Amino acid sequence: MTGPTKQGVGNFLAKQGILIAFVIFMIGFALANQRFIAMDNIFGVVRSSAILGVMALGVTFVVIGGNLDLSVGSMMSFSTIVVLDLHDKVGPALAIPMMFALTLLLGAFIGFLVGYLKLNSLIVTLGMLSAIHGLTLTWSGGKNMDIADKSGTWFSFFGQDRIMGIPVPILIFALLAVILSMVLSKTPFGRKVYAVGGNGQAATFSGIPRARIVFMTYLVSAFCVATAGLLQASRSLGSQNTVGQGMELEVLAAVILGGASLLGGSGTVFKTVIGVLILGFIQNGLLLVGLDFYVQYMVTWAIIILAVWLDVAAKRGRLWSPIA
Amino acid sequence: MKMNMKVALACTTAMLGTAAAAQTVTIGITQNNVGVDSYQTTYERAFIAAAEANPDVNAVVLDAGGDVARQIAQMEDLIQQEVDAIIIWPTNGEAVIPAVRKAHQAGIPVIVTNSNIAEQGFDFVASFSGPDNITQGSRSAEIMCDKFKDMGIENEARVVQISGQPGYTTAIERQKGFDDRLPEVCPNVTLVETQPGDWNREKSQQVMEAFLVKYDDIDGVYSGDDNMGVGALNAAKAAGREGIIFVGATNFAVGYDAMAAGEYWGSIYQSPVDDAEAALKTAIDTLNGVELPFLNYFDTPKITQDNMGEFTKPVF
Repeated sequence: MTGPTKQGVGNFLAKQGILIAFVIFMIGFALANQRFIAMDNIFGVVRSSAILGVMALGVTFVVIGGNLDLSVGSMMSFSTIVVLDLHDKVGPALAIPMMFALTLLLGAFIGFLVGYLKLNSLIVTLGMLSAIHGLTLTWSGGKNMDIADKSGTWFSFFGQDRIMGIPVPILIFALLAVILSMVLSKTPFGRKVYAVGGNGQAATFSGIPRARIVFMTYLVSAFCVATAGLLQASRSLGSQNTVGQGMELEVLAAVILGGASLLGGSGTVFKTVIGVLILGFIQNGLLLVGLDFYVQYMVTWAIIILAVWLDVAAKRGRLWSPIA
Repeated sequence: MKMNMKVALACTTAMLGTAAAAQTVTIGITQNNVGVDSYQTTYERAFIAAAEANPDVNAVVLDAGGDVARQIAQMEDLIQQEVDAIIIWPTNGEAVIPAVRKAHQAGIPVIVTNSNIAEQGFDFVASFSGPDNITQGSRSAEIMCDKFKDMGIENEARVVQISGQPGYTTAIERQKGFDDRLPEVCPNVTLVETQPGDWNREKSQQVMEAFLVKYDDIDGVYSGDDNMGVGALNAAKAAGREGIIFVGATNFAVGYDAMAAGEYWGSIYQSPVDDAEAALKTAIDTLNGVELPFLNYFDTPKITQDNMGEFTKPVF
């Protein structure tokens, strides 16, 4: 009698291991410090995570398509610096579309190299990581970029305002997550991304234009990076050239933590969002608990490993594999 | 044989050198990471300008790009080129010591600039030119304490600290200066918690958001530099928390502006131009046999809303 339900629960657990890990951490931190689950703290964390999160949404497409994108960190620095610089030169209404166009151009270039020329994505994007950093420094002359008139611009809307009490970055992150989730799961393009990442050769033989699909995933990624740059710039109205430095690895960690396979073909937008939130809440939770920061690095690592373990354990239905 | 030749050659050059009235010296510099922030970019420009302004100096300006291996290679290049003195802005205080020793053994005086190398390498260094970060931390503590006394809250104020990147000498020294000095000048002020902001405005804003959630009562924030200080200020403004005293170090243009706007109380004025010029001067003095203290600090004064008119706005 209970068989099917039990199986149903088991199936659910197996599919949502990472979600369970997330809930367990939340409860743990909440017990350690009640303020952790205060509404303003939760809003604060999700708002800060939104920048990383938006980037991770785009990288999810690239990773599912079977490639990597290590350039998103320096690309985000680029879009932040560019939009801040243009803000004072041509005004925000023009600066934003111009910045998006330039960032998409970078994405298109990477997409061309990886998709059409079939160059190794690790090498291409690792190279682009420093090349774009150089581009940013050339643009800014190495200087910090600041908006001159900080109080007199509507540009702060994206990073600092609220709509019905909810911070705008959270709304943008959520909206983008919903749209991209639909694109990935409900459209022919989305299905082709899975096909190309799962088995590229088979996809080619079934008439899927592999190069174009890979190219498109990098455009999606660049679009997300531009959005993240907009949020970043609008949040602090000024920035150093290295603002996104190192974020590529955090983004990748969030995507993988969410369960996407580095080999391509699997992963979902929803799980990436969970991965992002886990990273964000771990950082915040450890701060609130007040652990010494040298210890925080180690604890962060331990929690991530624990989360991955719980995820894998839920999938196979036992804590360790009987086959060594 | 080859050795003798070299010595002979060196002697001749030295004699020729003393014979000529205005002797031209070649000074090589290997910098940490130009372009990573405006401080280092401005430093490089000021260094080149100072060297060009001095007709007796020939400068070889190199940048390690933050890469230890590249910096060591650059040290070796400068030794090969037989420059008269080497200035190094260490990418890493430990790892560059062998290269510094090599230069020392080749008879080339090494001047360390901005951030010192680790103590075991001091024997190979002619002089250190740079800011005294411990004094900077102490001075920040004094600025904050004085302000608390003005406000009459020196007996109950609570302070949080946002430090620089863990493991960096500058971060450690500023924190030490602040931690040690604060209880001396304001024994009843509590330093509630210290967390790193990694020299990053965004990270610092996140840390401050967490502090604001965690503590209802914060009277002062000390940040390891103004860039982080402004991040913390942004967090406090977003949360609607007013009356917090912000004190930083390395006055940045954003910090200067925030001070002018009355939102940010004070900082330490550290000019990359002074830093670069002091390094070059230290190198020239060393070559001229001028007696210098081993730690040849340049002054980094206090700047607050009260006296900021005496200082020009930082260019970075």
